[in-house]
Parts: sequence; structure tokens; C-alpha cells
Amino acid sequence: MTSGSIAIVGMGVTRQGRGLGVTEVELRRQALELALLDAGVERDAIDGYILASHEREDLRYLGLSPNFSWPVQTGGATAPCTFIMAAGAILSGQAEMVACAYGMAPSSGGMPGFGGPMSFGSLGYGYPAQVGMIGAASAHALHARWHMDHYGTTSRHMGAVAVQLRNHALNRPDAMTYGKPITLEDHQASPMVVDPFHMLDCCRDTDGGAVFLLTSAERARTMGQKRPIFLLGAGMGHNIGNWHKRDVYAHHDDIAPAAARAFAQAGVSLDDIDTAQFYDPFTISIIMQLEHYGFCKPGQGGPFVESGGIALDGPIPANTGGGQISGFYAAGFTPLIEAMKQLRGEAGATQVRDARLALASGHGLNGGVQNTWSHGTLILGAEA
Amino acid sequence: MSAEEVGALVPGALDAPFWDAWKADETFLLHRCSICGRHDWPASCCVEHGAGPMVWTPTSGAGVIDTYTIFYHAYMKDLASEVPYTIAVVRLDEGPYFHTRIVGVAPQDVKSGMRVRVRKGQGDPFPLFVPE
Repeated sequence: MTSGSIAIVGMGVTRQGRGLGVTEVELRRQALELALLDAGVERDAIDGYILASHEREDLRYLGLSPNFSWPVQTGGATAPCTFIMAAGAILSGQAEMVACAYGMAPSSGGMPGFGGPMSFGSLGYGYPAQVGMIGAASAHALHARWHMDHYGTTSRHMGAVAVQLRNHALNRPDAMTYGKPITLEDHQASPMVVDPFHMLDCCRDTDGGAVFLLTSAERARTMGQKRPIFLLGAGMGHNIGNWHKRDVYAHHDDIAPAAARAFAQAGVSLDDIDTAQFYDPFTISIIMQLEHYGFCKPGQGGPFVESGGIALDGPIPANTGGGQISGFYAAGFTPLIEAMKQLRGEAGATQVRDARLALASGHGLNGGVQNTWSHGTLILGAEA
Repeated sequence: MSAEEVGALVPGALDAPFWDAWKADETFLLHRCSICGRHDWPASCCVEHGAGPMVWTPTSGAGVIDTYTIFYHAYMKDLASEVPYTIAVVRLDEGPYFHTRIVGVAPQDVKSGMRVRVRKGQGDPFPLFVPE
């Protein structure tokens, strides 16, 4: 992909919250309407549809007539994956404008494996569940424990992440925890979920929809969108390779190859990034990604955050909307939404001054055993 | 999240030889490449030599705790009496990871790097590990 050849010309984000009682396809319809309005285009401009899920009824219900409709599911890495697929469709001439759609309602019930019965292999590898290992928190706790025992990372370091995210979110009306500060002591006193995670180390499922409209940069320039954002670089990696090498738990993701590809495409370096938006279901996720991308040295993620490393005035303002933990959980779309808001100057009280380049990550769906997550890195820019 | 039932063991079909051997006399098998000697769990292709040379082979059933987590809530009804319990990823001496529950030691005394071995003689349907 040539840097800056693809533009994001529309973004629609519905209300994000717990138990909204709105169906998933309706959340996507609402997000689509908002994205069309944002881009200043009509329904019939959409000639490609990529859905971060599996569902047949979207095109009929949303009134779309595209050339193709592709389902994609690689967990929390699906969001960056939809952008890569959209770029491929546009650059190969299959579509001129692709809608990348997300809408989930896990907190209104119905997601398999989340409170419902689990089948063998529903998490890719059924044995851990049979000895009592249930849920994403426990899988990430394995990363966290590894990090603590190898680097001396502490629960208070993870608490510093939780407090920093809350400090971002409490000034953001679009965050679930708007106006609700927490202290490190609150974090330490919150109930233990799975060691070493306290409740305040964890995100909660939320309902919501998001749709992005992608087109060629050439076409974007002829449109009414005042602030198109450009896809400068993209890369994916998979931690299953580290399972085969027997080095899984040191790797939150297999970030190195993905980041190398994304930065090479974008022709920029880490120092050029104005804000990072990490996939952060648990506090350890931010600590490990800061290290893996190279924003700090290995093992120093905790002290880095503790000393204000991801604050607005820190070296790399990150997860400025509160992330998934204090903002809202829209899977891999949470970091993309915030990256877009930053680059469009729409991040309100936590706007990073003159944000021109943003990094966003996605992470999820294992390759046959928990912790062997798929990963995506995107670099977005305010200019092509 | 509602508490779930552990229920009966559901073995993966590809791992049947492992479960048959474990049930018969608590022999702990791993899937071994007969060309390079690499061991795997569960049933796998050798990353170098494919599926052809893979043979189920008796092994030590011992290793070290690579990482672990402690459950404080009974997400599964059958494990309510076990809470708090430790789930560990054991790095077996032959190389592969093995997810299991660590028993016979208080969760607060579990440490990464601790040597553990499979518990025998208790009729465990799923191999659980104890400190060596």
C-alpha cells in the first residue's frame, strides 16, 4: 500500500453504553446514518461493505447495494483488519467507497461464551476452561504475572495505568466514566477478579456501533469532507508464531513485524507519532504495548506510566478517551475512534495539541490457544 | 457472569490417544516428532516436519510453572469449593506448554519457576499438577 492513498472520509459512532437494549444490526444502521452524514454522501455511494462480525441481514436492513459484503472476524484485531481489507478492495478496483461496520451488544446478552454455555474449542482450545480457566481477564493475567515476575512490575504500576485512563475519561462526556475520578487507593481496594487483576484493571463490555467510510485519497479531495484522515501504514502480526517458539507470555501481541511494516509504509518513525491509541482491555495491555512498540524500554512500561508517560503532556499521550477500561469497549474500534477524533481535533478536553500522526492497535482472537492473539497496527495521519 | 458447570471432560478428538492412556494407567503422553524429537501438546503438526512423523509418546509429566493466575470467584459451579484456585501454564521438561490447575499448595505459595509434576493416584479425569 502506498502511504496516504486511502482516506477515511466518514465516521459514525452511536451511543456507547451498558445494556442499551438496541439490536446489533440497528446499532450498525444508526452508525451508518451518522457516517453518511459525516461524509456528506448518500447510501448509494457505498459499493463495498465489510462487517466486523458474521451476519446476513445487514445489506437488506441497511438498504445497501454494494458489489460485495465481507464478514471478517479476527477478534479485537478486526478493526484494523477491516481498514486493510477496504484498502485492498479500493486499490484493486472492487469498490470506490467501503463501509467498515461494527455493532455489538454484549452487555444486552447473547454473546456465546459470555455467560452462556461454552462448547469445547469455543476459545480455540477447550482444555483450560475444563480446569477452571474462564474469561479474557485470566488469559491476560498470564501476561501480567509473567511481566511482574520478570521485570518487577507491580499492581501499583497497573493501578497507575487505571488512574491515568480515568483522568483522561473523567473530562470526556463520551466516556462511560465521565466525571468519576478514581485514586490509586481505589484501585488497590477494588475487588480481586483474577490475580493479579483488581476490578479496576479490567474493562467492561459495552453496547455500541461504529461505521467508517473509506475511499481513495484522490476521491476524498473532491468531496465535501473538511477533514479527511489518511491511512498511512498498516501491519498485522500473529502471536501463534511465539506459541510454536514457546515464548508466548512475554508477548502481549506479535507487534514487531506488524509495526515494522506499518512504519515502513508510512515512512515515519516512532518519534513522529503524536498520540497512541492502544487496544487496552486490561491495564497490563498498555504497559506491554508501550514496551513492544519501543515507547519505553522492556520492563519499564509501569514506571513510564507512573511518571506521566501517557499523560496529555507526557512523551506519548495515549488512550486519551479513557481507552476500553474507562472509555467504552467497542472492541478494536475504540482505539480507531479515538485516533480519528484526535486527528480531526474533536477530542475535547483531552485533545493533543496539533495531533497530526496517530498510532492505533488491535488485538484479539487466538490462533488455537489463548494468548496467541492476532494483532493489527495502523498509522493514521491528518495529511496524506 | 453466571456460574457454569464443568461437567464431564470433553476431550478433543485428535487427542484421543492422550486421554486413553491417561485413563488407562495415568501415563502422560505427548505428541512427538520422530524425526527431530520435538514434543507438542495438544495434537500438532511438527513445525519442521509436518504431521507424518508425529507419534504419541510417554513422557515425564513434569516441568516448571511459566506463569499463573489465581481465581477468586466461582465462575464454574463445580469449582466453587476450590476457590481460590491456581491456574498455571506449565512448561513441560520436553518443551510444550500445558495449562492445568495446581493443587496441593496454597495459591499464595505458588511461584513462577516452581517445579511441578502431574498428580497420580487420585483418579483425576484431567491431569492436575502438584509441587515436585
